[in-house]
Amino acid sequence: MVLNQNLTSCIQLVDKIKLKLDIRDKDEIKVKLFAILRERVGESEIIITVPAGITVNYLNSEILKKYPQLKSFNNKFVTSVNWNVTAGDTIISSKDEIALLPPVSGG
Amino acid sequence: MFELQDNTAGASYIFIGSVRNGGRSGNVSEIYYESYSKMAEQKMKEIENEVQIKWKIKKLLAFHRIGNIKVGEASIIIGVSSEHRNEAFEACKYVIDNVKTRVPIWKKEISNESQKWAEGILLEYRKNE
Repeated sequence: MVLNQNLTSCIQLVDKIKLKLDIRDKDEIKVKLFAILRERVGESEIIITVPAGITVNYLNSEILKKYPQLKSFNNKFVTSVNWNVTAGDTIISSKDEIALLPPVSGG
Repeated sequence: MFELQDNTAGASYIFIGSVRNGGRSGNVSEIYYESYSKMAEQKMKEIENEVQIKWKIKKLLAFHRIGNIKVGEASIIIGVSSEHRNEAFEACKYVIDNVKTRVPIWKKEISNESQKWAEGILLEYRKNE
């Protein structure tokens, strides 16, 4: 019983520290969509809830699960993080500006 | 033209890209352009900085229109002035080639029969970014 109380206090303390340090177990990532991807989803921005500290590749797999209409575009878009195309192993958070970019055709 | 004026420039080169009827969608009447504006402006600036390093140019102007643009109207205008003509030619070609491959802009061809997004080029991950 004493052990359980100590454990509970310990968990509460960890939660307080996480709150103080702004460390979260879950992250809500906003993702901007453009052109054909925006049209297929019907939104220019989506929110994906993921575990904190995930990579771009993980985010993309979660997006394809949540929006299966984008599966046919797998490997036909890149992900930008803070306005640069980024490698799949880049770790991201809700503080980053993230966008899915289909092939470009300006000019 | 006035914006390109520089008394030490002997050449000014202007490229105008226009919407044409002749895409995959049959009888194209207009093109809808969409951009990721913040990233597009950043990439245009990067290209401009690269041009300044590669060539001795005097002035560089580049504009890309967004939204619905009718056949025959300009979609992009690039102007370069330099001391001699070769720098202006080469720099202008570099800008349009890189805008087409590095700037997040998309076009949808609109005809009476259909609306189709152009196939385009996948942006590349550049390690130095």
